Amino acid sequence: MQIACLALFILLFVNTRFREHVEPDASAHVFFHLDPLILAGTFLASYAVPAAALLALVTLAATLLFGRIFCGWICPLGTINHFVGWLRNRVRGLPDAPAQWSPWQRTKYYLLIVLLVMAAFGINWIGVFDPIALLYRSLTTAVWPALQYAVEDGSTYVYQADPHIGPVHATQVTEPVYRFFRDHIFLAPRQAFLGGGLLLALFAGIVLLNLVQPRFWCRYLCPAGALLGLFARRPLLLRLARRDDDCNACGRCTIGCQGLAAPGHGNPWMAAECFACWNCVSTCNFQALRFTVEPPLRKRPVAGLNLGRRATLGAAAGGLAGLFAFRLTPQAQARAYNPGLIRPPGAREEHHFLQCCVHCGLCMKVCPTNGLQPTTFEAGLEGVWTPMLVPKIGFCQYECNLCGLTCPTEAIQPLPLEEKKRVRIGLATIDTTRCIPYAYERNCIVCEEHCPAPGKAIYAVDTEITTRDGRKIIVKQPHVDPNKCIGCGICETKCPFADMAAIRVTSANESRHPGNQPILVGIGDLEGTAQQGYGGAPAEQTGASPYADPYGQQ
Amino acid sequence: MTHYSRRDFLTHSARIGGALALTQMGGSSPFAAETPPAMAIAKWAGDPIADADSTTLASMAVKLTEQALDAVGGMGRFVKKGDVVWIKPNMAWDRPPELAGNTNPDVVATLVKLCLNAGAKTVKVGDNPCDAAQKAYATSGIEAAAKNAGAEVIYLDENRFRKMALNGEYLAEWEVYPEIVETDLVINCPIAKHHGITQATLCMKNYMGVVGGRRNAWHQALPACLTDITRFMKPQLCVLDAVRILTGNGPQSSQLQDVARKDTVAVSADILALESFGVELLGNRPEARDIVAKAAAAGLGNPDYKALNPRELAVT
Repeated sequence: MQIACLALFILLFVNTRFREHVEPDASAHVFFHLDPLILAGTFLASYAVPAAALLALVTLAATLLFGRIFCGWICPLGTINHFVGWLRNRVRGLPDAPAQWSPWQRTKYYLLIVLLVMAAFGINWIGVFDPIALLYRSLTTAVWPALQYAVEDGSTYVYQADPHIGPVHATQVTEPVYRFFRDHIFLAPRQAFLGGGLLLALFAGIVLLNLVQPRFWCRYLCPAGALLGLFARRPLLLRLARRDDDCNACGRCTIGCQGLAAPGHGNPWMAAECFACWNCVSTCNFQALRFTVEPPLRKRPVAGLNLGRRATLGAAAGGLAGLFAFRLTPQAQARAYNPGLIRPPGAREEHHFLQCCVHCGLCMKVCPTNGLQPTTFEAGLEGVWTPMLVPKIGFCQYECNLCGLTCPTEAIQPLPLEEKKRVRIGLATIDTTRCIPYAYERNCIVCEEHCPAPGKAIYAVDTEITTRDGRKIIVKQPHVDPNKCIGCGICETKCPFADMAAIRVTSANESRHPGNQPILVGIGDLEGTAQQGYGGAPAEQTGASPYADPYGQQ
Repeated sequence: MTHYSRRDFLTHSARIGGALALTQMGGSSPFAAETPPAMAIAKWAGDPIADADSTTLASMAVKLTEQALDAVGGMGRFVKKGDVVWIKPNMAWDRPPELAGNTNPDVVATLVKLCLNAGAKTVKVGDNPCDAAQKAYATSGIEAAAKNAGAEVIYLDENRFRKMALNGEYLAEWEVYPEIVETDLVINCPIAKHHGITQATLCMKNYMGVVGGRRNAWHQALPACLTDITRFMKPQLCVLDAVRILTGNGPQSSQLQDVARKDTVAVSADILALESFGVELLGNRPEARDIVAKAAAAGLGNPDYKALNPRELAVT
C-alpha cells in the first residue's frame, strides 16, 4: 500500500507535463487534495478552496476513526523516510535501548500553530513545510533535473568522445540507455531551476535526518503530521491491544516503532504519534500486540497530548511576529513593485496569490519553456519558492495555459486559452544602449520575428542613421506597442545578447495590478478607436467567462 | 601483395551485383534517355477548396507533392535503398497549420511515404524550433502526420550540437546537429513565409533549424550566414510548400488575415531555383533577392529558375 502510493505519486509527477491534445486532469492533484493541512492553510488564508480539496475531509474523517494512517500508508514523503530509516536499521542494526518519547516531538505542533496563525491572518506559508508540497517542489526543482542531467550529459559525453576498442563502441551501451530514458522516463526536455542546489540540499537534509533517527522529519517537524495528530489523539475505532500476560517487556516493539509512540509495556500508547504502521505488531515475538477495531464507546487508556498552555501561546505569538515580519516590506504593502517579479498568466493579485499558492512547483514542472522559476526573495520571504517568469531563461508560450490548468489551489487561475492570451504579465522595454540597430549600426529584429501578439507588439521602423565613417544607412529599429505587448518575454529569451538582453520584460502593466500600470493601454490611437480600458482586461473579455474580472481588487 | 579475404570477396561481389541491378533498373525504364527536369511546380487546377474542408485540402496537398516529385524523376532519384533520410520542415512555431507558420503536415507525411517507398531504411523528421519543441511539434500537426506515415520524429537535444567546420566566407565554424549531418539525404522542406528582414523565408533560411548556438546573431548578416550554411549542407532536394503562404507579420503570425492560399508545391534539386521561385511568390522584394544573389555568386545554384524549364503541372 505504501509503495503503491509512492509509485502513484511518482507516476503522477512524471505524468504532469505537456502532452499533445491532453488537458491536464485533476489526477495530478490527488495528493494535494488529500492533504488536510493544505486545505486548512489555504482556507484560512484565502477563504477559497477548490471543491476537490474537500477530499481532505475524508482524510480527516479516516484519521478520527483510525489514527494517522495517512502518515503511515499514504504520504509519499513518509514512505521515503520510512524506507531510508529501514535501510539505516538494516545496515546499522536496531539500537539496543528502546527510544523514548521526546518532548521535542511537540515541535511539529508548535510549527503547526505558527503556520495556522499566520494563515489566519492571510500569510500562507503552509506549503513551505507541507510534506506533499515540499516533496513535489524538491522533485521538480532538484531531484528530477539532477537525474536527467546525469543520464543525458553522461551519455552525451560518451557520445561525443566515442571511446571504442575495435568495433566495440561504448555508445552501443550508452545510446540505448539514453534513448530509453528520453522516450520512456523523462519525456520532456531537461529543466534547470534557480536555487535548485539549495532545494536539493534541503531535501537531502530531510532524507539524511533519517540516519540520525528513522522518520526524523515525521516525528519532530512535519506540520501535516501534527494536524493529523490532533485528530488522532483518540482514534474512535482503532485500538492497540496489549496482552500483558504474553509480554516479556523486551522492548522490541518500542525500538521498531516509527513514530516513537510508545507501543510497549508500561506506557500508555500515544495514538497522536502513531503512524499505524504495524511495525510493533510484526516485531513482537509473542503476538502480545494487536491492532483491533472496536466500537467507539469502549475506551482504552491512551496517552493525552499535552502541549502546555504557555508554549502554545508562545507559538501563536511567534506566528504573529512572523506575520508582521513578512508584511514589513514596502512590496508586501503594495507600495513598490519588483520589476523582476513577473507572475504566470492568470496569477491572482499578489496578496491573494500568496494566500493561495502552496509553493509546490507544479506550474514550474509543466512550463514547456522552463521559464517559470522559483523565487528566492523576489516576492519577499513570504513568497519564497513561488513561481516567477524569468524571460532570460524561458518565455511564456503564447498558446499555452498549462500552469493555470495544473495549479492545485487556483492561485494561478485556470483561464481558457483565448482568455489567457489577452492577459498582460509584463511589458517589454528596449535598451537602446545595447539594442543592435540602435547601438551597433546593423539590422537584427530577432525580437520582432518572435513576437506572437496578433499584429506583433514589436514593430520595426526604418530609420536613417549616420555611421562612423559618415555614411547614411537605413536600419530597422524595433519599438514596442504597449497596446499589444502582453509581456510573454520571448523577445528577451531570443535576443542575441545572452548576458543581459537588449529588450527586457518587467512586471510593468501587468493586468493583475492597476497600481503597476504606467502606460494607459488603449489610448495609443488618440482618434478614439481604443479597444481596451485602463486597468482591467480587454473589453470583449468582460461578462462572458467565470473569470471575467479576475483582477478585481480584494 | 594484398590478401583477398572471403569477407572482401563477399562485399565486392555484393557491390558489383548491386551496381548491375541498378544499371538494369535504369536500362529497363522507358524514360531512360530523357533527363527529368531539374524543377517542377505543381499547382492545383481543380475546383477551389474551402479552408474549412480539411480532408479535401489534405488530399490536395498529397497530390501536389506526389506529382511534383514524380515530375522531377521520382523520389528514387534521390533516395537509395537503405538510406537514412532527414526531412527538415519548418516546425518552429506553436501554430496550427491554418496559420501557415509551419510546413503543411500532409506535404511532410507524403514525403515520408515517398522516401520509405523508395527504399529508405529510416526517415527522421526534426527541427530546432523557436517555440517550445513539444508544443511546436504537436501544434504544427507534423509530429502526428509524420509518425503516422512511418517516420521517426526526433526532438533535438540542445546539448548534442557540435561545432563543425563550415569553412564559409563568413562563418568558419558553427554548432550543427550531428544526427542530421550523418544522414544520407536531407530534404529541405520549408513553407513560403514573409519575414521582417529578408521579406521572404524559404529553403535557405530553413537551414537555421539544423544549427544551434546563438544562431539569432545571424540576423545581422543573413545573406552571408545563409550562404555559408547552405554550402555546408550541400542541398540535394528541396520541396517548397506553398499550399498556404504567410504574407505578413512573418515568420509567424497569430492572425488569419496574414495567410493566403497558393495551392502550390514546388520541387527542385537546385536550391536557388526554388528559392527564386519562392521570392517571386512573396512579392519579389529586393531584400530577398539579395540573399539569392549572394548564394548564386558563391556558385550554389541557378537563380534563374525559368532557364531550367521547370515542369509546370496543373493538378486536379
